[in-house]
Amino acid sequence: MKFSKEQQKIALTLFVVALVAASMLAWVASVTKGPIAEAQRAMLHKNIKQVLPEHSNDPVHDMFVYPISAEKNLQIFPAKDKKGDVLAYAWEQIAPDGYSGTIRILMGVRLTGEVVAIRITSHKETPGLGDGITKDMAWLGSFIDKTLRNSKWSVKKDGGDFDQFTGATITPRAVVRAVQQGLLFYKNSQADLLKRVYITTKAKNVTQEGAK
Amino acid sequence: MASTDAMLNKQEIFTDGFWHNNAIFAQLLGMCPLLGVTTSAENGFWMGLATLLVLVGSNLIVSLVRGFIPDEVRIPAYIVIIASLVTVVELTMNAWMHEMYLILGLFIPLIVVNCAILGRAEAFASKNNVMDSLVDALGMGLGFTFALLLLGGVRELLGQGELFGFDILGANYPDVLLFILPPGAFIALGFILAGVNLVNLKLKAKKEVELTQAKAEAAS
Repeated sequence: MKFSKEQQKIALTLFVVALVAASMLAWVASVTKGPIAEAQRAMLHKNIKQVLPEHSNDPVHDMFVYPISAEKNLQIFPAKDKKGDVLAYAWEQIAPDGYSGTIRILMGVRLTGEVVAIRITSHKETPGLGDGITKDMAWLGSFIDKTLRNSKWSVKKDGGDFDQFTGATITPRAVVRAVQQGLLFYKNSQADLLKRVYITTKAKNVTQEGAK
Repeated sequence: MASTDAMLNKQEIFTDGFWHNNAIFAQLLGMCPLLGVTTSAENGFWMGLATLLVLVGSNLIVSLVRGFIPDEVRIPAYIVIIASLVTVVELTMNAWMHEMYLILGLFIPLIVVNCAILGRAEAFASKNNVMDSLVDALGMGLGFTFALLLLGGVRELLGQGELFGFDILGANYPDVLLFILPPGAFIALGFILAGVNLVNLKLKAKKEVELTQAKAEAAS
């Protein structure tokens, strides 16, 4: 099959346009790669700081991976005092049952099982309704110092302790349930977690000493 | 003489894009980002600015390459140009305006299918020189930003009693949730369009009065 000159010109033009566009995108992607990773890291640092008590370590540096099932791992960020003793942990809890899609919640929990604070890290809830979970500081604050025992873990509509929003019940309900599950996870694995922190710290110290 | 002519022309192109032929108010184009993202004045403003950037870039590039692209493939070529520009804006926002990116994230890729942008590439930039196309993009883009800002402001004010996150109507204001939800966008837009038409009617009446006065003066 032979192509006419016209057709060749058309194909060539599209090829050149696509080539130029692709190389420009490759360049922009390489330039923004670093800053995007940096922005995400800064965001993570900021969020983690907000859900942990005063600490003297770098929780992101001391992060360790904790397997919760065969294929799922949790990244746990420990807060430690000057002596290196653990004060609290932060990790991301996922609520799969938001109004539209999953909600990711960063929660901090003290060794004694109280919630330090929670922050929403990503969600697709309705702007102006469900997205109150990210902005309503009074509502986010209502989780502070709550434990499995001292609260009823559902929204007020369902007879619990936590407010729903006008026009949005499903979103807060999903968050409350996820945080409760987070506390349950902590209750069941706190001994294990402590052991893990100890092992990780020791391993890190050994490598550091080895490097000396 | 020629330079003033050109000046007038540029001004006309700008006001045409900003007002008389406004993508939202006159053409009702780009409804998807308009209705989806305008739940607050701030969201509307940044979405409008992102669209403005893409529009300026696409008009510029399309008018630069307008002599080289065969007619048969101009649409796919324009789409490639616009989609690339949108990706550039998206990556840039992700890198340096991370928090706004997280809010608008879903809607930024949709700028590609904003027919106002392809419409300007096709109807204006592919037929005019670079300077005129730039002015057209600025007029259209600012008009679009203005429309998004206005609608976002109205919806935020009525729906939450706030403007740019600041409390305006007091704590006792009963938030009208309808205006935050999609139907509220249509209702608010309807009233804004009515207002725009009213302004246009007044402008037209004023022009006619001036015309008849000028005629009367000429006759006397």
